Amino acid sequence: MIELVERASQLSELAALLAEATAGHGHVAFIGGEAGIGKSALVETFCHAHAEARVLSGACDSLSTPRPLGPLLDMARQTRGPLQRLLSSSSARESIFTALLDELAGVPQPTVLIFEDVHWSDEATLDLLRFLARRLGPLPVLVVATYRDDEVGHRHPLRLLLGDLATTRTVHRLSLPALSLEAVRVLAHGSVLDAAALHRRTAGNPFFVVEALATGDEGIPATVRDAILTRAARLSEPARDALEAAAVLGFRVETTLLTSLLGAREAALDECVGVGFLRAEGAVFSFRHELARQAVHDAISPRRRADLHRLALENLRTTSDDPDGLARLAHHAEMAGDREAVLAYAPAAAKRAVELKAHREATEQYARALRWTSDCRSLERAPLLEGFADHCQLTDRHAEAVGAWNEALEIRRRQGDRRKEGEILRLLARPLWYLGRSREAETSVRAALRVLEPLPPGPELGWTFSELGRLAMTSGQRDAALAWSEKAIGLAEQLGDQGLMAHALNNIGSTKLDYADERGFDDLERSLLVALAANLEDYAGRTYTNLASTAFDICQLPRAERWLEDGLTYTLDHDVETYRLCLTSQLPMLHLRQGRWTEAADEATALLSRPDLSPLYRLRALTTLGQVRARRGDPETWTALDEALALADLDVDLARSGAVQVARVEAALLASDRRRAEAELHALNIAGFEPPNPWAAGELALWRWRLDPLAKPPANIAEPYAQRIAGDWAGAAASWEALGCPYEAAEALADRKDEATLRRALAEFERLGARPMAALVTRRLHELGARGFARGPRPTTRANPAWLTSREMETWRLLAEGLRNAEIADRLSVSTKTIDHHVSAVLAKLGVRSRVEAAKALTVLDVDLRSEKLAQPN
Amino acid sequence: MARYLVERSFPPGLGIPVNEEGAASVLGVVGRNAEHGVTWIHSYVSDDKQKTFCVYDGPNPEAIRRAAYCNELPIDKITKVTVLDPYFYR
Repeated sequence: MIELVERASQLSELAALLAEATAGHGHVAFIGGEAGIGKSALVETFCHAHAEARVLSGACDSLSTPRPLGPLLDMARQTRGPLQRLLSSSSARESIFTALLDELAGVPQPTVLIFEDVHWSDEATLDLLRFLARRLGPLPVLVVATYRDDEVGHRHPLRLLLGDLATTRTVHRLSLPALSLEAVRVLAHGSVLDAAALHRRTAGNPFFVVEALATGDEGIPATVRDAILTRAARLSEPARDALEAAAVLGFRVETTLLTSLLGAREAALDECVGVGFLRAEGAVFSFRHELARQAVHDAISPRRRADLHRLALENLRTTSDDPDGLARLAHHAEMAGDREAVLAYAPAAAKRAVELKAHREATEQYARALRWTSDCRSLERAPLLEGFADHCQLTDRHAEAVGAWNEALEIRRRQGDRRKEGEILRLLARPLWYLGRSREAETSVRAALRVLEPLPPGPELGWTFSELGRLAMTSGQRDAALAWSEKAIGLAEQLGDQGLMAHALNNIGSTKLDYADERGFDDLERSLLVALAANLEDYAGRTYTNLASTAFDICQLPRAERWLEDGLTYTLDHDVETYRLCLTSQLPMLHLRQGRWTEAADEATALLSRPDLSPLYRLRALTTLGQVRARRGDPETWTALDEALALADLDVDLARSGAVQVARVEAALLASDRRRAEAELHALNIAGFEPPNPWAAGELALWRWRLDPLAKPPANIAEPYAQRIAGDWAGAAASWEALGCPYEAAEALADRKDEATLRRALAEFERLGARPMAALVTRRLHELGARGFARGPRPTTRANPAWLTSREMETWRLLAEGLRNAEIADRLSVSTKTIDHHVSAVLAKLGVRSRVEAAKALTVLDVDLRSEKLAQPN
Repeated sequence: MARYLVERSFPPGLGIPVNEEGAASVLGVVGRNAEHGVTWIHSYVSDDKQKTFCVYDGPNPEAIRRAAYCNELPIDKITKVTVLDPYFYR
């Protein structure tokens, strides 16, 4: 056991978390620090000090392509129960994750789950960590994950996971600092080395310090590597051979493998252990530190290294037939330069990764196989290219996907496989669309149609119909979209293809709704039911997104809100991250319309802080943020709107760029800059933006009317806009109020030139915080000779102490009345799961543990409110 | 980070007592601002104490609003500003 110095506070923090876990409140602790800072030592010391807990540990390896769910495999071996059985029988990921939860809940003692070195983690393990973080609340578990924070850059998947979990209350971050001079002095006690010089050279890195001290009297080595190699040089030859073999095999090596690999004798291995390079842990030898392994590995001559990998490969092949050993075999095969082995194992490793939804790893294995089939004419390359391209899309590597599809296309054409040719042409469209090359995408799908039509009908043709429908829908061609999608449905019914059915129904519904035909909702709901029944999680996610956005596009806000909430809950439960993000990106726009500007701005800002955010979502978030600022009269309105416009220019999809322009017209008018408003409107006219959607058309018509009262509006615009343009201010205001849009309602009232109505408008603008409109209305009131406007009650923290959203406030009140979650859900017409989330958020934000405490907090608040008649904030 | 000028009105007149209580309330404001990444530089107060002009450093207007809200302070107008000093051009 290593003696730790200067780690008392981290140990006590972990102890506190374990105490909470023991009481039934699970937590996750991420421990970050540079290599050699002592993360593993900390974890080990902690576990030794808390023998009452059950410890399950697993490590991520530094193989170029990690084994999917590697750490979980290690843990399963330690539990030996249903979990291990499920893992070895290639089951679906969901059942594996659930089995883990059962395993954790099934034992009375608290469990410590250790994930080491998660900066090397595969995608499936990151998903597992996310899954655990969100579900650990009621379990007696402490998850401890260590990582090298200096290797986790801006776009590293772990950074993104930590960002996602930033607001999760059960997740904690600890970091380990370098040792101080005092600490180094303590460690160097009794050595001839000068503590101050040692501290300087090692920069307080504990591993380096210990290694340097171990090299003893030869002076302080220049680098960690030197320290390690110096010590390795002192080993006897058999011991050094054994060490090199171990270094090639990996951080943890099975004893049997090591001995059969070199006939390595006990004595040689004992020597390595004695000197401190290796540790014996039952059936496994492990390096004392990855840095040591790395240094030894890199120092082996390339030829010997290749030989060792070849030996490892031969040994592993015969001794293990475990599907999760495929990644390891593929790794050794590549390092040994064995083409045949790579092509045998890499594609199989890819398939296993696909099963576990470790998409990044699947892509890497395909890429590895491709590296070894550089003969472009070879037929075996085609399925590898196709697998690679398919997975590139799932990992946002769209440009590489296009390249791979094109290459595969060449091969299939030469082969004369028309069906495959057609399928690839259709599949090419998706990454092209994501890259903003919409015209090429359309060309590709049309080419697919030409190729597939003469052949007997099959799923490829059906999907091509549906894809054509989708493209027509996004470019506003209603009849074409409906026609193509109907053809797809016909074929789907014939073939019994549920996924195709759901996809095509989705297109039809969305298209109908785009033209304000509310029967479209029926199609979308049918599509959702098909997807939910067939457990097609991605389709369900996509349909929730469509339902929410189409409801929003026709200003049916309560419906949109319901679909958003249900969708967010579903995608959270089923870990469908892509659509969860999509739904999240719609929240700001909804809240803007509802007059909930602070929420809208906060959500938009949160989205914009994600480094990987796609241009479409950035555009939406920036536009909404710009609109909030414009309506409040806040600075940096044009900063946001200019950036949004730049993003819109990238795309041929007019619908997207049109919305930004309209927002800019409004912003210019709110800033009383008529000339600018006219310029922005002119740009819109030139681009020929005439949206088919009556609401979008109405908004555009409104601004045209504001700038030119004689402009005649087009026929088909939404009623509230038509009312306002026709001068029916009362009708318009009533319509907007009925729809739940307070700002637009107040705007309509402000058209009227009588004092009472204007005062109503002013009160509403002040409540919303709409300074420019409030100022405008105040001017008009002055012109009418009115006087004396008392400011409304000031918004104050005491009305909303913990920055709760209005939904959370409502939930809080009902909770305090003693209602159970199911009853609250009923009252607010949302799902119980949604209320579960709101309740957790309320308790967390108030910093209380129980509903009773939350209710007490509300009584205190109510006393304040009643005594001062404070207003609710916007 | 940018600099913002916040105009505020206090119809009854702003009253911060020059004693421990006043100091505590002012430092409370500073602490709450820090939670939102906002730094209060200083303020200018009109003679009748009914109007203040407060200078802040902050990441964006929304953070300024959030901090003001948590401190129960009203906002009339926010303007983004940069500092101009008469001796700058020397």
